[in-house]
Amino acid sequence: MTPAIRTVGLVKDYGKVRALDGLDLEVESGQVFGFLGPNGAGKSTTIRLLLDLLRPTAGTVEVLGQSPREGGPALRARIGYLPGELGLPSRKTAGEYLYYLARLRGGRGAERIDDLAKRFGLQLDRPLRALSKGNKQKVTIVQAFMHDPELLVLDEPTSSLDPLLQMEFRRLVDEAKERRATVFLSSHVLAEVEEIAGSVAIVRAGRIVDVDDVGALRERAGQDVLLRFASPIDASELRGVPGLTDLVVDGVTVTCRMHGEPGPLLAVAARHHVVRWQAKDRDLEDLFMEFYRDVVPVGVDPVDRPGTGTEGDR
Amino acid sequence: MNARTGTVMGGALHDHRHGLVGWSIAVALAATMYTVFYPSIGVTKFEVMLDTMPAFARVMGFDAIVSASGYVGATVYSLLGALLVLVCAISLGARLIAGDEEAGTLELDFAAPVPRIRVYLERLAVLWLTVLVLVLSITTTLLILSVMLDLGLAPMKLVATSGGLLLFGGGLGTVAYAVGAATGRRSTGIAAASSLATVAYLFNYLSPLIDAPWMETCSPFSWYIGHEPLLNGFDPGGLALLAALAVVVGVAGWVPFRRRDLMV
Repeated sequence: MTPAIRTVGLVKDYGKVRALDGLDLEVESGQVFGFLGPNGAGKSTTIRLLLDLLRPTAGTVEVLGQSPREGGPALRARIGYLPGELGLPSRKTAGEYLYYLARLRGGRGAERIDDLAKRFGLQLDRPLRALSKGNKQKVTIVQAFMHDPELLVLDEPTSSLDPLLQMEFRRLVDEAKERRATVFLSSHVLAEVEEIAGSVAIVRAGRIVDVDDVGALRERAGQDVLLRFASPIDASELRGVPGLTDLVVDGVTVTCRMHGEPGPLLAVAARHHVVRWQAKDRDLEDLFMEFYRDVVPVGVDPVDRPGTGTEGDR
Repeated sequence: MNARTGTVMGGALHDHRHGLVGWSIAVALAATMYTVFYPSIGVTKFEVMLDTMPAFARVMGFDAIVSASGYVGATVYSLLGALLVLVCAISLGARLIAGDEEAGTLELDFAAPVPRIRVYLERLAVLWLTVLVLVLSITTTLLILSVMLDLGLAPMKLVATSGGLLLFGGGLGTVAYAVGAATGRRSTGIAAASSLATVAYLFNYLSPLIDAPWMETCSPFSWYIGHEPLLNGFDPGGLALLAALAVVVGVAGWVPFRRRDLMV
């Protein structure tokens, strides 16, 4: 079966700055695939190469079995794209813009605009310039999904959505999955993709440093746990708990890093009077630092897009 | 299923519709202001003025303004009217690809199943349509005023001059458009087109002063107004040169635009 996305040795330079440095990626058809990396790692650059907005410096890209350049409009007709940073034409209303985008697709998707707008609580008669960030994101979600594309390429799709809408978004992804569409979504936060994606690739400084399924990655990342007890607790009790690292016991307060399931730690803690429990998913940035310090030579910073300062996620 | 022809153009026109109305009113007002001023000054006053003018002013073309045609040609078509059309065409031309690309509002157009050439051609059509509307606005205003004030402007000569203004404004707008599309930078498009406009204007007026006919030969402003079409009618040579400028620049902009990275 042809992979939905395949890149081999993909290189992209912006002038003298190398954004992608030999990226090898394969996304099977029908998968929900997370594309994770810190800002400036090359996520958006990769995505824009898939859409033929950018042309590769070296290496090959194939989308649904075709090079984006040769596939042209016919290939783009089969893709739904949600840009990471989109400027919306301020003089149109949300509805005018969505129907315009449907017309660019020969009318495909127009019939679903009303329904999708309702699901996300998007008011179609409001001018785009008056919309909040979250509402703008709704517009981009509707236009990406409305024509039931075979491949969805979503660049940080949920970054501005509240939890309720994130759930609605997840439902859309599930529906796409049911009809065997491929979903490729990028994020710099693991939590954002872990509930929808089956597999993830991690990109850093323009290369894939790891491809894994979400569960394994989450286990490796672990959580930072803070426990507070009613009375001081003996550190030795916790030392034997499997999957715990970086244990610090300071009187009634315990901090540690927990990998894997929380059961064993909870069992030990429950023997005492717990007054506070806090478990926080670790930042992906920390994970990168921890796991890839050796892979990535020291001093190589995430590659910035020229002219945009720190927001170099292109 | 493909987008119908004109979909991209319709979308862009919709975005710029308020500007189009505003500019059309502005150029009509400019044409009106100059023209209604003419009878109140009167021919005789101009003649008196001319006698007191130095030779320099005659060379600048002020001596032609004694007739209504000369006056309208020297004011509306050579000064404010032309300037307004140019400013509109150049700023719009630079915005239609480069400006909208910089603002990020073209990303979904480019990602849509529409060939790049169609985005290029249909947005270029928006530019020409806008200039056409402005020129029509000026022409109609002048035709009406000519009847009302009995100025005796010859309709065909008016059309000849307006045709030149359309090609001149559209051509320089196309320079801004093509340079913007080639570079992705709105400011570069504006700089290129306004430099060319300034040089064209200066060459046209300097040419007789310093006796350098080559300046007129290569000035698009001379191609447009040098033959005084409001007095002499159509100037096929000038019009052809202006049309050629637009086509050459339009094609030259497409070649790099076709290959370059978008939205960077």
